[in-house]
Formats: sequence, structure tokens, C-alpha cells
Amino acid sequence: MTPLDALLALSLVTLLLTLSCRHQVWCGVLTTLLYGVQLMALLFMSTSIHYGVPVPSGVHFNVLGFEMHWAMTPLAWFFALITLGAAVASSWYASTSWGRHYAATGGSPGLLQVALACNVVSMLLLLCSADLLGLFISWELVSWASFLLMASAGGAAVRHALHYLVYAVAGGMAVLAGIALVYVATGSLSFDAFVASLSGLSAGRLWLLLLLFGGGFAVKMGLLPLHLWQARAYADTPGPGSAFLGAISSRMGLFGILLVLVQLAGLARFAGLVLPLTPFTALDLLAWVAAFTIILPTFTALRQTDARRLLAWHGIGQGGYMLLGVVMGDALGSAGGLMHVFNHATYQAALFFSVSAVVYRTGTSDLDQLGGLVTRMPISFTAMLIGIIGLAGLPPMNGFVSKWLIYQSLIREGHPLLFIAAVIGTLGTILSVYKLIHNMFLGQLRVEHEHIREAPWSMTLPMILLSAVVFATGYLPGLVLRWIAPVQRELGLPVLDYTLGGYQSTAGSLDMIWVVTSMLGGFAIGAVLFYAGGRARRVHQLDNYAGGHFLDAATRYQYSYNFYPALTRLAAPLYRDSFQWLESALVSMLQLASAGAQGIYRSVHPSLYLLAAAVIAWLVWGGGH
Amino acid sequence: MGWGSVLLEVTLMPLLAFATGLLLVLMMRRIRARLERRVGPPFFQPLYDILKLYGKRVQISHGFIHDLGIIMVVGGYITVEMYLPMPGMDGLAAHGDLITLAYLMMVPSLGMALGVGQCANPNGSIGISRALMAMLGYDIPFMLVIVAAATLYGTTSLPDIIAAQQGGGMATWGVVTMPVMAIAGLVTTHVMLAKEPFETYVAPAEIATGPMVEMGGKFMGGLFVVQAFQVYTAGALYTTLFLGGGTSWLEFLPKLCAVMFLPFAITVLFPRFKAGEGLLWVWKWPTAIALLGLALIYLRR
Amino acid sequence: MNAPVLMFALPLLTAFLLPVIDRLSGLAGRWIGPLVLVGNLLLGALAWPHLQDAPLVLAMGGFRPPLGIVFYVDRMAMLFAMGVALGVLLLWPAWAQDKDRVRISTLTMVLVTATTGLALSGDLFNLFVCYELAAISSYGLAAAGGSAAAGAATLRYMVISSFGSALMLIGIALVYQATGTLNLAQLAVLSDALAGPQGLIAFIFILLGAGVKAELFPVNAWVPEVYGAAAQRVAGILAGIVSKLALLIIVRLLVLVFRQPEAQQILLVLGVLGVITGELAAWRAQDLTRMLACSSIGQLGVMFVAFSIPGPAGVFAGLAVALHHMLVKPALFLLAERWGGALTRLPGAAQKSPLAAACFVLLALSLVGIPPLPGFWAKFLVVTAALGQGTPAYAGAVAVILAAAVIEASYLARVAAHLYRRVTQPLSANRQTRAAVTVATCASAALVSATLWLAPLGNSLQVTAAQAADRDSYIHNVFPQGVQP
Repeated sequence: MTPLDALLALSLVTLLLTLSCRHQVWCGVLTTLLYGVQLMALLFMSTSIHYGVPVPSGVHFNVLGFEMHWAMTPLAWFFALITLGAAVASSWYASTSWGRHYAATGGSPGLLQVALACNVVSMLLLLCSADLLGLFISWELVSWASFLLMASAGGAAVRHALHYLVYAVAGGMAVLAGIALVYVATGSLSFDAFVASLSGLSAGRLWLLLLLFGGGFAVKMGLLPLHLWQARAYADTPGPGSAFLGAISSRMGLFGILLVLVQLAGLARFAGLVLPLTPFTALDLLAWVAAFTIILPTFTALRQTDARRLLAWHGIGQGGYMLLGVVMGDALGSAGGLMHVFNHATYQAALFFSVSAVVYRTGTSDLDQLGGLVTRMPISFTAMLIGIIGLAGLPPMNGFVSKWLIYQSLIREGHPLLFIAAVIGTLGTILSVYKLIHNMFLGQLRVEHEHIREAPWSMTLPMILLSAVVFATGYLPGLVLRWIAPVQRELGLPVLDYTLGGYQSTAGSLDMIWVVTSMLGGFAIGAVLFYAGGRARRVHQLDNYAGGHFLDAATRYQYSYNFYPALTRLAAPLYRDSFQWLESALVSMLQLASAGAQGIYRSVHPSLYLLAAAVIAWLVWGGGH
Repeated sequence: MGWGSVLLEVTLMPLLAFATGLLLVLMMRRIRARLERRVGPPFFQPLYDILKLYGKRVQISHGFIHDLGIIMVVGGYITVEMYLPMPGMDGLAAHGDLITLAYLMMVPSLGMALGVGQCANPNGSIGISRALMAMLGYDIPFMLVIVAAATLYGTTSLPDIIAAQQGGGMATWGVVTMPVMAIAGLVTTHVMLAKEPFETYVAPAEIATGPMVEMGGKFMGGLFVVQAFQVYTAGALYTTLFLGGGTSWLEFLPKLCAVMFLPFAITVLFPRFKAGEGLLWVWKWPTAIALLGLALIYLRR
Repeated sequence: MNAPVLMFALPLLTAFLLPVIDRLSGLAGRWIGPLVLVGNLLLGALAWPHLQDAPLVLAMGGFRPPLGIVFYVDRMAMLFAMGVALGVLLLWPAWAQDKDRVRISTLTMVLVTATTGLALSGDLFNLFVCYELAAISSYGLAAAGGSAAAGAATLRYMVISSFGSALMLIGIALVYQATGTLNLAQLAVLSDALAGPQGLIAFIFILLGAGVKAELFPVNAWVPEVYGAAAQRVAGILAGIVSKLALLIIVRLLVLVFRQPEAQQILLVLGVLGVITGELAAWRAQDLTRMLACSSIGQLGVMFVAFSIPGPAGVFAGLAVALHHMLVKPALFLLAERWGGALTRLPGAAQKSPLAAACFVLLALSLVGIPPLPGFWAKFLVVTAALGQGTPAYAGAVAVILAAAVIEASYLARVAAHLYRRVTQPLSANRQTRAAVTVATCASAALVSATLWLAPLGNSLQVTAAQAADRDSYIHNVFPQGVQP
């Protein structure tokens, strides 16, 4: 029994236990503990992984002539770490007062825990698969487990979950087509056979494989133009469920791309694959898809008025950074892209938890109905502040390090326009997250929220811990880069020569230890200068400049609606919802065809049409011969 | 570099930057005065203003985040100065490069935004909204300048960029090797200062000075300090990238004043853009010039 | 070894004796039908070991082929014969209604006879006779509901079916005219005579004729109406069992007699059209029965595509899909007995019958082709076999099949969402009968065990398919001493 077998058995046991005791009150606590044990089992394998030695599984099947086996590689270990970490945090959060409140409002926290356990099991199986068949089977299981998690809330969420399902099954079928093509070419579904079959492929075939595998995995990841399902589906999943989905679920698509396109096929192969009649290669296409995935969803997020939709749209946008970094193919970019997966998981989870806490206390996540909660919920505010600094990619949080690595890579590889695209994404993110924190926590406190208290300790503790992780990995990014080096080696990419504080080179270095310490020092000096300047009197929020008017509690004195009017006005002609139009056009065509098909089966005298069709077919075909 | 010299540089650089910034603020006010046919304030006026503000008896605060905002603005700029090389002092520039500097410069804006947010005044929030939109505007040509400089010099480390320019005399200055980019950079510097015609976020008649509406006393004093830092940083960054820094203060100071002269003069002559107009203008002209400059750099490679 | 003949004769005898038996003893009349079916299963189990090495060839009355009627019992035939017995046993229609019990039992036994004959026959004439028997008994069963809708639907079905039967007869006549024989083995030997345009026309006519029952594209307009109006058990039998047997005729002909590529192309095109129209029509359906009916059109289209692939790979893939469909569809139709009607009536059904809802989800997942359930493996076999042909036509067919799977997932998930929606007062009409729950659970259990024992099942099926696709051994088995002219 290898350590990997122990881990997989543990997660199966977790699923079964959760299933059997899902109606118990202590179910959530049990699952959190079990995820913690799984995390420890994972960390037990860390020394072997650090040296790049994969941990095989003792279990293997032979089905219809196909071998299925599993192994924990460094890439799998990295993603599994994030998965289990997110699972621990989400399960913990769901087992607190939030779970009781959710049950009281008609939800089923037990079902949520079961869905979470299904997701963890299927994701671990996906990450550890060592052949194409196991990959596909676990890919489908992951898709359906995500569907279960999204639909577990019932009601309006089911509609968006069904929308997701169509996309997910379509993506799965694309991957299946790719796998079938590989099988037909080589007669085997092992990774080695796949790599061997690629060497003799024509350009057209290679494009087909890229589109099938890339497209299939891109659906899960939410790359443009296959992203329309993600924001609404993730936002409507109940609290910790959306944190889990946003943190790691869509990154399974990135895992697929890394495994199949980067590790097995190799980026060099796609660098030589040219788009006909243009000077662009397949890698350029991927890079620009990533760039547009950064920009467009970020500015869609800017226009959202619901906090959870806003965060979900940012989740889509940040995925673009990860792909962009990886596609660059050098040590800096790929390290940045991979580190961004980890960083994003940490601050996205913190942000979703914070928003959930506000929803728990106030009952709404509508940004136009909130405000001023910083005085009532300071811990949630701090968690959100650290989260948004991380999301925006500003020092001293960890988001800055991964973005810095990606920017350096873009400059060094000579892609100025992609650099500008990435920067536009960051700027849009800063604007958008400021609106989030301002409309929620800053500004005027509403009368109906005067009595609100901070979320209970059980809910704020995970937030605080996640924020601490965000800050700590920002301070010492070497801790995370240490896990990434073996991944880069496995993927066949150049390995980053990292330091504990970041990266040293003659062409520009980053040492976060110095940066964060100097920032803290600067703030300390600023604080000294501030508090040395005499006492300030605390005044009530209604004691405010209002052009000579008296403010009272009934006066709404908050600027939250249409927070960036000039930008919205300027961007409005560009945001014609083109992707949604495209999607609805496709659906309309399908409905038309479907109505036609239904008409065939409703016709009163089919024999006549039959005869007519037979005569026509005879004429056409007989005439041809 | 021993710990002692590091500590010395880290303390001196913000102080010198502050002092030089005060000088530049004075220059700005004198130029405005002269163009308006006045004499202008005395030499130490900017310092007197700050001391006056800090000495006010009645100072109001709307909460801890209000205080934290000002701390973050001042502290943030102090940190920025540690990473911007001065003649004779590189500070911490070896540990954080040009990109880090650009992002560190966004931290004070965020701090200000947070502090104004807790003031619970819509005028302030509108001002911050406009300020952030303006930041979205100027950061695009600014980042284009950064990527051009990084591409041309082959490094993002500021001491190396300065050394590359000082090595070959005036012929290797950025102004000479990438002239179109230098023009874009100068326009961007003006926009960054958020002075007329890009001063929409203040707009005294429209939104009651925007973010400053509930700032008084030491809060306003802190913002005045930051103004000095801001003017210095913009000028010093441009000088570092395009004018070869300065081997000594005798060379550095005139360069700074020369760079800032044009923006200061122009700002007197113009009224204010409307909120969206400024954004559109910045996305058109400086961006176009910067893109042209970038294309020229790439063509020459 | 007469067991296969008994499998054909016993139900026929029972059918005609049933009214008499029922008059003598009501209890016997109620149970004789299912007992005979159990007997059929036992006979099949007895005969199965004898089929391991070589198929059985049984000449009726001792008259040697090609003059006499011959039963060719290979593994595939026996598999389907047993499948008929088991399926009809589980879906026994007469238990659901008391009114016309005897008539329905009689008709069902005739149907069993006919379908067993379709599975076991070795010559075209017998196939035609059995086909007609199956058609007539299905008319009766479909109309047995007594409702006006059932009557109208059956009438339209009769028109198309008669048209199809006429075409089939003409086709058989053309075959006879070209070769002078109707024995399948001898036709296989003389298949060159049918290689030209006359043979192709004959094939098309037989295809359209058999295709009526097999839900082939142009002649399947009757399917949604009849399945919707008839009793759901009857619909399950027709969709799940009878259609496969009609398909079997075409498979035998393709393997043995009509081997020109145009025949395969026609089958491919019609199969693809069936997939497209079936799945799209199912997508729009507003009630479960119509949805399942159109879905079965789509699935049969997939089977046509699979069987149009030449060689044992095609037969293997088609057999896998057919057997899987035979397992899943009847169970689904049985669940639709209570859950038929508008989809908007379904919310809360999972609260009333949680086990049945869970079984529905499992069956639906397997139908769509979600691994590791058997439906996925069947689809995978079809996809790989089709792509292995390498032509753009087959590649296009694969794209259509995969796209159809997406549409299938969409509407089946929609139904599942309706089932699991929570309502305060679920309709009691949504509670499943115990019989339906039992059958659905058995089907789900069969699916799960098939998943667990996939390797041996797959190997066994592959041997069966190889045996069925082996033309030379067919001829050799029927004419061990060589062919007599």
C-alpha cells in the first residue's frame, strides 16, 4: 500500500462517511478533520515529490485491453495541495454557524458536504491519472461532481448549473474525440504512446488535437469564448461551495492543459505550428486568448452590482494570467503562472468567505444595498482588504509576486502588447475591487445595519488563517516557489532559480523580504509622523460636509450606484454582449433545427413525405451514377 | 553594503526626497504666480503650510481606517523613495526593480482611497472614483514607457539603467536614444501629477475638493507631504529613465527642475477636463505616441 | 439439441392455447405466459454452453438447407433470444391491466415467438414471416390501451408498417429473382449476383421494410406517437427489444449478403440523420414519454452507424450499444409509466420515490455515456471503430454522435432537475409502483455489475461479435460439405 493508495482510500472513506452521516449535526466537523488528515497524507509524500520522484499507486486495472494506473507527480501534488487546502477551508466554513443558517433557510448542508467530498475524490483521481483513459473518466467525474455542487442549492442555481453542464459535457466530448483519435493512431491510450504518435503528425492533425484537447480543457477553465457559464454558476453556489469552486475547480482545466499540451506534447511543438496565412503560431493564439480572458471578464466584473458575481468574474479573468505565464514557456513566466494558481486560491477563498459572512449577517450581497460595515465587521473587512490587495496584485501580498514574475517574463520574451494587456487587467482589477470594498465596508452605514455584529469566530477564523497565508507567502514567496520547481522540471520547462524572497538576476530582481519589511517600516514611520501630529477627534458619520444641509439617518448619503460612470459610458459601446449574442444565436439555430425535427415526427401523413423523399433521393443518387 | 549604510540610506533618501519635493512645490507655485503676474510665496512657504496644518487644534477623524489611509499614503511614498536611486545612494533598488517601483506607487493611491472611503462623504467617493479612473488612464502610457525602457536597456534594475546612461555620456541618454518615447513620458508625467487639465478628481466647485472634503489638520498635512513626494518621484523617475539620473546633486537638481518646468507651466494655462474626456484624451494621444515610440524601438532592434 | 426450436415453438403454442387454459383456470391463465418465458430462459441457458465452440444449425423437419427452413443459432442469436425472454418477462404487460388480459397475453406470446424467430432464423422467408407476426402483434399491443390516441397512433403505425412490409416483400422478391434462393448461407455464397444495382435496390427496400420496426430514419415517424399513446410497458418492449431484433435482420444481411460499400454508406447516412433528428426532437419534448421515444430513435441511429462499419469491430461496437440500450430503455419506459405526462408535473417526484429517482439518474448517465458506466464503453467502441475507418464521412458521423451526447445530457439533466426539485406538496401520482422500482433497481444493479465485470463481459462480447461477423464460418456451418447449387 503506497502513500498514494492511502490518500485515495482516505478520500473514498471520507465520501462514504459523509454520505452516510450527512444529516448529522457534526458531519461538517468530521469532514474537515478528514480533509486535514488527507492533507497530512499528501504532505507525507512531499520529500519524494521534491526530488521529482513520482509516487505510484498499487492499484491498476486492465479494461478491454486498456491499462489504467495512477501516480502522484509533482504537478499533481501541487494541485492536490491546493485542492485539499481549499477543501479544508470550505468544509470548515460550512460546518460553522453558516451551515446552521443555511439549513434554517431551506438548504441542505449535508448535501453540500457530500458534493464537496465527491469533488475532492474525483479531483484527486484526475490529478493522479497516468494514462489517457483514466484521465477522461476522472475528467467526466469532476465535471459531474461540480454540477452536483452547483445544483445543491436548488432553485435558480439549478438553471445555471444546467447551463454549465451543457458546456462541460461538450468539453468532455471534445476531449473524448481527441483521445479516440490518439487511440486510432497508436492503438494504445498510454501517455508514451501519445507522445510517440505526435512526432509524425501533420500540421492539420496537430491543430485538430490542439483544438480538441485545448478546447475541452478550456471550457472548464473558462477561457474566452467558453466562459459564459462560469460567473453565474459559481456565484449562485452556496457560500463555501463557491469558494471551493473559484479556488480550484476551474484550475482543473489548467491542469489538463499543462498535462496534455505542455508536458506530453511540449510547447515547442506548438511554437512551430503556424496559423495558415498569418505569421502567428499556435502559442501566439493561446497567449492572446489568455490576454483577452484577462481583460474582458475583468471589465465585466467592474460592471457587476452583486458582490459574488463580481468575484466570480474576477476568477475567470485571473485564469488568463495563469495560462499566459505558462504559455511563455520560460522559467519566470511558468513559475509565475503556476504560483498564481496557488495565490489565487488563497485570496479568492478569503474574499468569498468574507462576502459570505456579510451575506450571513445582512442577508444581501447587493453592493447597492450595503455600506459602512467596517465599524461593525472589522475582521471581515481586514480579510477582504488583504484579499483585494492580493487579487489586485499589489505588494506586500502574494499576488504581486506571481504577477511580477509574469510581467518580467513578458518583457524578457519581448511581448510588449501582452504586457500591456496584463497591466490593463491589473488596473481593471484594482478599480473593481475598490468598488467592492467601498460599497460593502466603507461609506455610510445604513440604519438597518446599525445592529449588525461581526460574524462568529468559527467563521472568521478560516478567513484570518487564509489572510495570514496570503501575507506570509507574499513575505516569503520562496516557500511556494519551492513546490513549483519540481513541477517545472516535470513539465519540461526551464526551472526558476528562486530565492526565499523571490528572484535575483542582473536584469531585475525582486526580494519580497526587503520590499515587505521596507513597506512595514515606511508605514511605521508614517504612523509615527501621524500620531505625533496631535489628537484627532472621532466624529459620527453624519457629522459630514453636505453643502450646508443637515444630514440625518434617513438621508442616503452614499455613492455606490454606477461607481465608475465615465468608464461605463466609454466602454458601453464596446460591451455589446457579443459572446452572449453568439451563444444565443447558436441556441436559436439549434431550437430551429429541433423544431424541424419535431415537425418530422408530428406529421400526419408521413407516407406521402416518405414517398416524395424516396423519389427525390432516387433521382439524385440514381442521376449521379 | 553593511547594515549601517543601508539604514542610513533608507533614512536619508525619504528625507532628501521630501526636501527636494518641497523645493519643486515651491517652484510650481512661483511659476504659477509669475504666469499670473504675481510674486509668489516665500522660499519656506510649502514647509510652513505643512507645519501649520499639523499644528491645528481641531482635527476630525471618521474612524481608524481614515487614519490608516493617511498613514498608508505617507508610509507608502516613504517606501517608494527607498527604491528610487538618488545621486550617490541606491537605497534598496537592488532588491526591487522598476516594476516593483511602479506597483509600490499604486499603494499610496489605495491607501488614500480607503481613508476617503471611511469619510462616508459621496464627494470624496466620487473624487476617488475619478482618481482611480484617471489612474487607469495614465498607467497605460506609463507602462508602455516602462516596457520600452526595459526593452531598450535590457534590464529593469534602476541602478543598471542609470549606469547604462552615465557610461556613454549624453549620447546614451534616453532622451536621445528614444526621443518619441521621451515625449510620451513627459506627457505621462504631467498626467500622473494630476494637475490641470487632469485634475478632475479634485474639482473644488463640483465635488468640494473630492477626496480632501473631510481632510483637515494633520490629515491634510499628510496629503501636502505626499504632494511633495509625488512631484519629486515623478520627476526623479523621468530623470532616471530618460536623462541619465545624476552623478551628483549639482547635476540631478537642475535636471529635475528642467523636467518639471514644462508640466508646471502648462498646468497654469489650462482648465480642467471633464471626467471621461481626460481619460479618452490620455488613451488617444500619449498612448499613440508611446506605441509609436515602442514600435520604433522594436524596429531598430 | 432442440432447445432453440423449443424456444420458438413453446411460446407459439402457448399463445394459441392461452384462451383455452384461461377458461379452464384463471390462475393458470395468469401465470402460464411468464412461466413459458422463464422456461425459454432456462432453455437458452441450457443451450449456451453448446455454442462456445461452434454455432448450432438446426434444420426443421430434417429438410436440409437450402430447401428447408434452418435455424442458425450462434452466440449473438441466442443472446438476443434470451434477451427477448428476459425483457418481456420483466415488462410483462398483462400484469398492469385486467380488462383484456387474455388477449394481451396472447399477443405478447406471439410477439415473443416472432422475435425469437427473428433472432434464430437462417433464411429470408422465415425472417419475413416472423417480422410480419411481430408487426401484427405489435399493432394489437399498441392499441390495447383502449384510448383514442392509442387507436389513432396505431392506425398511422399500421400504414407506415404496411408500406414497409410491402417494400420488404418486393426486396425479397428481387433477391429471389437474382439468386433463386432465400437461404442466408446460400445467398452469402451467391452474393456476387447481388453486387450490382439490382442488389442495391433490393437492399434498400429490405432496409426500409425492416427499418420501420428498427426506427430507421425516414420510416420512424410513428415512433413518438405510438410510444406516447401505448401502455409504457408495451413501449418499453417495442423500443427496447423489438427494435433490436429488426436491426438484427439488417445486420445479418450486411454481414452475409450485401457487402458493397454503397449499402454501408446508405446505412451510415440514415443512421446519422436518425441521430440528429431523434436527439433534436427529444430536446424539445415537453413530456417524458415523447422524450424517451425520440431518444431511442437517436440511440438506434448510433447503432446503425456502428453496424455500418465493416468488419468485426463494427459488429462489436453495435452489439455493445444495442445490448446496453436493451438494458436501459425498458427500465426507463417502466419508470415513465408513472412519470409520463408533462415534465412540469415531475417536481417532487424524488421526494416520493427516492430510489426510483436515483435509478433514473444512473440509467440516464449511462445512456448519455458517462464513464465508467457501460454506456460510455459502448460509445467509445463506436467512436474508435468509426474513426478507425479514416474517411471524412465517418469522422463527421463521430462528430454528430458526440454532439448528440451533449444534447442528450442537456435534456436528461433537465428531467433529473425536475425530479429533484423540492416542493412542499409532491404529487402522490408521482410515487412509483413497486414493480417499476424493482425493475429499475435491477437494471441499475446490472449496470453497476457490468461496470465492475467489464473485462470478462467485454471479452465475451468480442468473441460473440467476431463469430457473428465471420461470413465464411457461417457458410461452412450451414453447408459443411460445400454448397449445393
